[in-house]
Amino acid sequence: MPSFDVINYGLRPSKSIQRQLVFNGIHSLQALMKLDMPLYVGLGSVSFTDFSLAHRLLQIRDMVSIESKKIGYRRAKFNSPYATIKVLYGVTEKVLPELLDCSEAINRPWILWLDYDCEFCEDVRDDIRLIIERVPENSIVLFTFNGNEMRYGRKPAQRPERLQTLFEDVVPDSLSANACKKGKIEVNLANFAINFMKATAANMSRPGGFVPAFNILYSDSASMITVGGVLPNNSLVDTVNDFLQSCAWECCPSEPIIAPNLTVKEALALQSLLPNGAGISKNDVRNLGFDLEEEHVRVYEKYYREYPTYAQVLI
Amino acid sequence: MNNQKLDSANASPTKEFFVNMITKDISLEDSILDLIDNSIDAAKHSSGSQPMTLGSQIDLSQYTISIKLSSNSFIIVDNCGGMTLDNAIKHAFSFGRKPGIEPEQYGIGVYGIGMKRAAFKLGRDITVRSTYVEGNRIRQSFKVPIDVEEWLKSKIQSWDFDIVEAEDMEENGVEIQVRNLTSAAKNALANPAFVQNLRRMLARDYSLYLNKGLNLIVNGERISGLHLEFAGSEEFVPMRISYNGLQNGDEIFVEMIGGMAAPPPDSTEPDEKQNSDKRFGWYIACNGRIVLAADKTEVSGWGTTNWPQWHRQYAGFMGIVLFSAYNTAALPLTTTKRSVDLTSDVYKTAQVKMRDLTKEWINYTNERKQALDAAKEKEARAKAIPIQQVENRESIALPKLPAVKPVERPANVQYSVPVKRMKRLAGELGNINLPYREVGLRSFEYTYEDLVGEE
Repeated sequence: MPSFDVINYGLRPSKSIQRQLVFNGIHSLQALMKLDMPLYVGLGSVSFTDFSLAHRLLQIRDMVSIESKKIGYRRAKFNSPYATIKVLYGVTEKVLPELLDCSEAINRPWILWLDYDCEFCEDVRDDIRLIIERVPENSIVLFTFNGNEMRYGRKPAQRPERLQTLFEDVVPDSLSANACKKGKIEVNLANFAINFMKATAANMSRPGGFVPAFNILYSDSASMITVGGVLPNNSLVDTVNDFLQSCAWECCPSEPIIAPNLTVKEALALQSLLPNGAGISKNDVRNLGFDLEEEHVRVYEKYYREYPTYAQVLI
Repeated sequence: MNNQKLDSANASPTKEFFVNMITKDISLEDSILDLIDNSIDAAKHSSGSQPMTLGSQIDLSQYTISIKLSSNSFIIVDNCGGMTLDNAIKHAFSFGRKPGIEPEQYGIGVYGIGMKRAAFKLGRDITVRSTYVEGNRIRQSFKVPIDVEEWLKSKIQSWDFDIVEAEDMEENGVEIQVRNLTSAAKNALANPAFVQNLRRMLARDYSLYLNKGLNLIVNGERISGLHLEFAGSEEFVPMRISYNGLQNGDEIFVEMIGGMAAPPPDSTEPDEKQNSDKRFGWYIACNGRIVLAADKTEVSGWGTTNWPQWHRQYAGFMGIVLFSAYNTAALPLTTTKRSVDLTSDVYKTAQVKMRDLTKEWINYTNERKQALDAAKEKEARAKAIPIQQVENRESIALPKLPAVKPVERPANVQYSVPVKRMKRLAGELGNINLPYREVGLRSFEYTYEDLVGEE
């Protein structure tokens, strides 16, 4: 791969597009469900990018960030951009149950996004199970994990057993090694994670169940997977389902988001041609004075509104 | 006292009892299996009602049973020949089999309760449609729509359902559509884990039929029958016997096979893999339908007189008993077909042979502990044999193992590490699925060689 495709890692355009899609989706669900004073729960790290969007776009006041490393915790507290963010120290499996026991937290819906760096493992599964079983009604939950095939076994033949261990009953016995190769395993991982959430809600007869709403594969350098959905109360199930069936819902793209690394100048030049019903051709790009792969043109065209065109400074 | 009659106590059943009470005694999965049983009985009837033994040559490949599950409806359609109007009027919709009406020969539907109970368990809006050929070779169709709530509310004492005209189905068979699902059914049918587990159950419980060509399809996906296999070699030979038993004058053909299906575990400690021994234990089939699977409880005999309770040490053993009877009522079946009738004479007789066979295996696993390396070497030479290919033999053959005293005193090690780290190390050792015990041993050997070196 040419180096200009991998540099600019810090900007991570695919991640940025994914984040923007997710927040647009949450924003519309928030309005649809008329969520009252939701609590935002996430893994803010030291940059708090999603927390800033939660506060500015979703108007969420109270937020909780979980930090498992001692130095990371101190840095997170220092970098916290708003007074209403509570940084809690500890691993998610310890902090989440405590939070779920806190009356202040469980009397309102949650918007939770656990954006893990690691693969879907036993700890992630147990967090998801806990959240699906106990999070308050009308919450929106999302989980991001690494979809790199090597994280699930070095050889494809080892992966079906690993996935069966991780996702339990929802994985068909007929899952083949071929379905666990790069390019296929990511889709299966996303589907198994969603089915695991559906099954967890159904197994405990959670009123309203789990309604899948987010299924996004994206890659800047690592293959990442974001899945999630809504845990509506009974009266909102049909409303949420109908809304998600509408063609306006963009949080389950059929293709992985693999955005090109464009310079600001390139991105702005392309943007000046959009929106454009006929689409941008390679010739259009050449006429601008540079060139791009066809697939990169298509991705940009689709996500130009979410493509990061400026460096954000958090203040 | 002259026993003069004062009045009579009303013992009539109520509709509510059948709709709301007897449905509590059966799981949703078993209700669905009840409907499949009816389709299979029809297929067997259409193909000449032959017994379903291991040696049976029956070919069911022209029959298909298709099930569609969703959070809104349950639909089962078959092409197994259909139900005649006469059968619908006189028998199929009555609650319980009427006296004098014989159940299907070599069938699995026996109590005359399955279809109604299953449909009531699933939902409140039911339509049963049938297309069949009468003696005059003309195709005929009818349907029976049942609005359960209306039927319950109906003040008329009649329990009858209306039968109305219907369009022909594509092939001769029966279609049952259930809508307005009960909340339990609605929840389960939309649960991906329920659907996968149902597929597993069908693959296992109908394995004998599926391996005779029957097509069973769930949400468009064909179910492959579980292949029950033993591990055999010169030293490991499964037992296979057959005999005729009697139950209230009815003859029952009994086949019993048992032996090693897989090597026992090296350690009897519980391991991290859930259900790693789930396929071992006793299986009971009645007219081809498995009604008890991988049983490790008192139902098959474990933990009863002269038969120890199941222990992980015994994993690797599998035994199968097949009861085949012309008169289905003679079989040791319960009404839910999820267990056996422990009072059945023919079952009690079989249990003695089951116990003796099991004890042979228990003795082997005891001896094995003293000669683990020799045993593992012999077990590794065993090859898979499908149950149909197991040869007749009065008793199981297992190797005699020499008792070997350990030459050195062992040190047992136990420690805890985070699962995530253990899995990473397993991956680096070549297989992310390695048991923790194996990761511990290999990392010890690795460190020993690195730090201590050759002895």
